[in-house]
Amino acid sequence: MTEFTTVTAPRLPSRERIVKWAPLLVLAFLILLFPVFEWLEDFRGGEDHFYLLDSRFFSIRNAARVAIAATPALMVALGVTFIIIMGSIDLSMEGTVSVTAVVFAFAFLAMGGTLAGHAWLAIPLALLVGAAIGFVNGVVHVKLRIPSFMASLAMGFVGTGLALLVTGGDRVRVEDEWFRSLLTVRWFSFPVMCYVALLALLAAWFIQSRTILGRNFYAIGGGEDLAKASGLNVERVRIMGFTLAGVFFALGALMAVGRIGIAETVTGKDFMFISITAVVVGGTALWGGIGGVWNTLVGVLIVNVINNGMVVIGLPSFLQDGVLGLLVIVAVVLSTNRKSISFVK
Amino acid sequence: MSFIKNFIEAETVSRRNFLLAASYGVSGAAAARMFGPGPAAAATYANPTIAWSYRNRTNPYWNEIASGGEAFVRSLGMSNDDLTHLINEGSSEKSLADVKALLAKTDGALALAIDTNDAPNARPVVEACAGAGAYVSTLWNKTDDLHPWDFGDNYVSHMTWSDEGPAEQTARILLEAMGGKGGVVHLGGIASNNPAIERLNGLKNALVDYPDVELLDAQPADWDTQKANRIMSSFITRYGDEITGVHCANDTIGYGVLEALRAEGMDVPIVTYDGNPQAVDLVREGRILATVFTNPHWGGGITAALAYHAAIGTFKPSREPRAHREFYGPTIMVTPRDAAEFKANYLDDVPTYDWNDFWGPTNGQIMYK
Repeated sequence: MTEFTTVTAPRLPSRERIVKWAPLLVLAFLILLFPVFEWLEDFRGGEDHFYLLDSRFFSIRNAARVAIAATPALMVALGVTFIIIMGSIDLSMEGTVSVTAVVFAFAFLAMGGTLAGHAWLAIPLALLVGAAIGFVNGVVHVKLRIPSFMASLAMGFVGTGLALLVTGGDRVRVEDEWFRSLLTVRWFSFPVMCYVALLALLAAWFIQSRTILGRNFYAIGGGEDLAKASGLNVERVRIMGFTLAGVFFALGALMAVGRIGIAETVTGKDFMFISITAVVVGGTALWGGIGGVWNTLVGVLIVNVINNGMVVIGLPSFLQDGVLGLLVIVAVVLSTNRKSISFVK
Repeated sequence: MSFIKNFIEAETVSRRNFLLAASYGVSGAAAARMFGPGPAAAATYANPTIAWSYRNRTNPYWNEIASGGEAFVRSLGMSNDDLTHLINEGSSEKSLADVKALLAKTDGALALAIDTNDAPNARPVVEACAGAGAYVSTLWNKTDDLHPWDFGDNYVSHMTWSDEGPAEQTARILLEAMGGKGGVVHLGGIASNNPAIERLNGLKNALVDYPDVELLDAQPADWDTQKANRIMSSFITRYGDEITGVHCANDTIGYGVLEALRAEGMDVPIVTYDGNPQAVDLVREGRILATVFTNPHWGGGITAALAYHAAIGTFKPSREPRAHREFYGPTIMVTPRDAAEFKANYLDDVPTYDWNDFWGPTNGQIMYK
């Protein structure tokens, strides 16, 4: 499928370096931009306002709020990062998140409903279910030779349907104090879930840079034919990639349930848009082979900072979607080197 | 495969009839008005098919509606299976096609309760039913220019809910709890949805009497818990302690707001809408100050009952006053004081309703703006 030719351009190191760091620059720019609007507002109102110092947006407490909002999306985006590095796409996240969230909640309640008891077993169970869905996803994609886009989208629908079947459209509340301490207990101003996310991020980074599997993702994304010719079992790597993505989707589901204490059929809603956007905005190319988990972290933060900032500066709601779309385009333009690609499809 | 052929034939015929009827409607109706005294007396049926057409059963709201319809059918001494379910899955086209197929099958001996999925679809559905001599009662969706009394007996009734009044009441409860001062934020439904607009208007109406309370912000949270959670935490950044009350357009939004407040260790009064069992529990615990219950179980049963009793001739719709043809459904305010009692009476143990008391719990004739 990767018919287009890539021409590496070694003669432009400076531009490449800029592109490499562009997502981070975009993030820094946004973080400095929103307080300007706050300053403007107070300035017009005739109040004293010290830029950044008096900013409500630029504060530790708001950073924690952005982090809380970003945590589930980060988990899901990390999963799909591996797939996108391979040059495939996984659109099953909404269904996978919903079904693992619901399975987790039911199992958790059935096994006593508190982390202090046996109910912690629901966590590995949810991860297993996520892995299983991802595995089926990969097998359908590879063995039935269905494009990953279609196979995963279809699996996503199956997942949503399954979640509906299990819940009957009801919500399941997870009220255990221990589990909810993911949100309610804070270390250094940030809730526990942020540290769990950090661990998952480090694990993803380890997989990406220190394991054979991780290197193989790049090999396939950079040139599948070449990888195949070098004796790499591409099919196996693909299936493992989708399985791994499923595990991260399940982690995202756990974070989502931890954040609002409810598992339901729509728990996975909106994760597709935010995770794919975040990956691309972070500078991981949709054609594969470029980018990685740190790009994804920056991408997720960019999208969430935009979402948070727009409300904080009081942007009218009817403008927010439009502005988000525009900022995404700008971020992608700045943060991916499209010159090296002969054509984009 | 002959049933497919039959179905296509029936569809073709009914579509042709529909087109003929539509063209007749333009020219013939005008002529009929000149000569006749309006639509002729409609035939009644001894044993009409009873059907409910709605979105799907996986949605808790519509599940309650359908279970109300089944409760009514059981009250007639029949079984649940005697209620025909037409599932439109959110498609107006499917809704209309299903109704026409059922009309062809029953030859008009049909008592239909229906939410037509969107307002414009109500007219073709009602016209198809009236044309076939069937009896139809609608819920929620119809255009303002479509009235039961324009169709003699066949368009039996329409019920909907006005959310402005109840939302204003919950707002007053909230504003009182805030001590009549401070700042309130509103998290709404999908901006273009009618209930979302009405519920925000309810808050604005109440605010007129509370000049010391400022409406800090109102943003659509799309009926979505997670989006509500995100928006509420952004609100907290923008307004911080200025927020002393939260008005939510429905329960699901309320859950997201409560969690955002919990993450900050804030304790601010909130009110919601819909009366979901979970929200009622939270009201009982005092974490939500008020929610509004619209009794979908009763709505589902009574809409089917109206169509059925008109079809068998128990009452003659055209002899009823207009307030009995177009009316608002019941709303029940749930507050911490009565939440436990409400839960026991309506949720834990679904009451046995008198399905012959068609209009007792309703809330007056529909007013158009």
